Amino acid sequence: MLRKVTLASMLLAFASFVSAELTIIVNPANNSAIDDKTVQRIFLGKEKKFGDGTETIPVNQVADSAIRQSFDENVLGRSSSQVSAYWSKLVFTGKGIPPKEVTSDAEVIDLVSKNPSVIGYVDSASVTDAVKVVNL
Amino acid sequence: MKKYLLPISLMALSVSTAVNADVRINGFANFTAGMTTDESGLYGYDDSVDFSNGSLFALQISGDVNENVTATAQIVARGAENYEAEFEWAYLTYAINDTSSISAGRLRTPVFRYSSSLDVGYSYHWITAPRSVYNVPFNNFNGVRYDYSSYLGDWEVAFQLSLGEYNESVSGGSVEADELINLSLETTYESFKARIVAGRANNSFSQVLVDGAIANLAPLAPGLADDLALVDDQGVFLGLGLEYDNFDWFVSGELTSVETEDSFSPEDIAWYVTAGMRLGKWTPHLTYETRDGNQDFKFLDQVAAFPPEFQPGLMQAVAGLQGFFMEEFSMITVGLRYDFDTNVALKAEVSRYDNKIDNPADINTAEDTTLINISVNYVF
Repeated sequence: MLRKVTLASMLLAFASFVSAELTIIVNPANNSAIDDKTVQRIFLGKEKKFGDGTETIPVNQVADSAIRQSFDENVLGRSSSQVSAYWSKLVFTGKGIPPKEVTSDAEVIDLVSKNPSVIGYVDSASVTDAVKVVNL
Repeated sequence: MKKYLLPISLMALSVSTAVNADVRINGFANFTAGMTTDESGLYGYDDSVDFSNGSLFALQISGDVNENVTATAQIVARGAENYEAEFEWAYLTYAINDTSSISAGRLRTPVFRYSSSLDVGYSYHWITAPRSVYNVPFNNFNGVRYDYSSYLGDWEVAFQLSLGEYNESVSGGSVEADELINLSLETTYESFKARIVAGRANNSFSQVLVDGAIANLAPLAPGLADDLALVDDQGVFLGLGLEYDNFDWFVSGELTSVETEDSFSPEDIAWYVTAGMRLGKWTPHLTYETRDGNQDFKFLDQVAAFPPEFQPGLMQAVAGLQGFFMEEFSMITVGLRYDFDTNVALKAEVSRYDNKIDNPADINTAEDTTLINISVNYVF
């Protein structure tokens, strides 16, 4: 198991080094303008609607995944621990609920493809026609 | 009837579009060990290692009553109170829209930067938020709170209005306050955050020694006794907070004033400045905090109006009572936080406490000492 994880994270590190980038994805029906600030606000629970008024449902990847760490650091601009501390403040004041977490790119794509409210992120190599790429 | 409720609510849940529509259970825990280097002790610690004083375990249960109403209860068991579980908060929140909500019940008063997550050690870098500022009897209140938060361009703005009352044990007595009105305004722009707070309440304070001293004074000087007594007197709280946090390093501070002018109680001015760096999983930090409640005696002009033969006795009563509650101290804390996991932090701190007044009758002040703490903070 340990070897698997190590191999996977090595592959991911390698992948992100070579080409792959983290890609924000939404449902193909979502035509709202989305920039990096919007993504930040949505994933920090500060923006609850897209530009067209549709409810936002951010989907996160699990905390120990390399892509989550990359998302937290590069898009949210803070470490996963800081993001977790941020959410603990909101959760324990009843002011917010952190995004649901899933374990793979495929799950993110599945959720995004089924619901115009869902926004997520995956490795660009995983992107399929079922979702729309957001260019930040 | 009850039999049908469950399936119906389950159906309601399953057709709901929200990802999180069920009952949510979260919790947090702080396990803290501490001791002072001197026998005299500080904040409940003494020169033998204590594991309960700063430890707590909490569960929060929240559920959606309907699309707009959420019920939240937080149950906290504190080591300092023999882990007897108590409802710290219990309230209903009605979301008016995406920016406004109204909550009613037992709530946290939004007076400080870290008020809302004061018990959640994981949410900040310290083991304990600076006591000189945060140790006040009005951290929780019963009533109604209006919350507003939105964006003005790139400025994030949050406003909170609280109305209610509170009862709390403090300084060996109890304080009862009603007609609490508290306003706070917080704005965030990129790495900067600023907040201002103003609050007032009608306070009454009762404590054996104070009540006795005032009762003794009343037959001789009823006006003076009334001025000294803290009964239905307006207390005023003012606060200012500034923060810069770019996630690699941070510096922040808060300045507060608590005063009940028409009473024996001295004005307390407290502030802290803290700074730290985030080096991967490590956050070394430094904090200086101070509270100055060592003020000039009030009501001396009233004593001077009495015939000279009464003045020494009155003076003793007036100055004695006020001196009893005066305090002036500072503390420097050096600490280190280690993010063990995304929900576990390990912390260590050394604090040097410096008492600045020599007043053996003082109820609040401790002797100079060094406090050492280690802590594990957990959220789930």
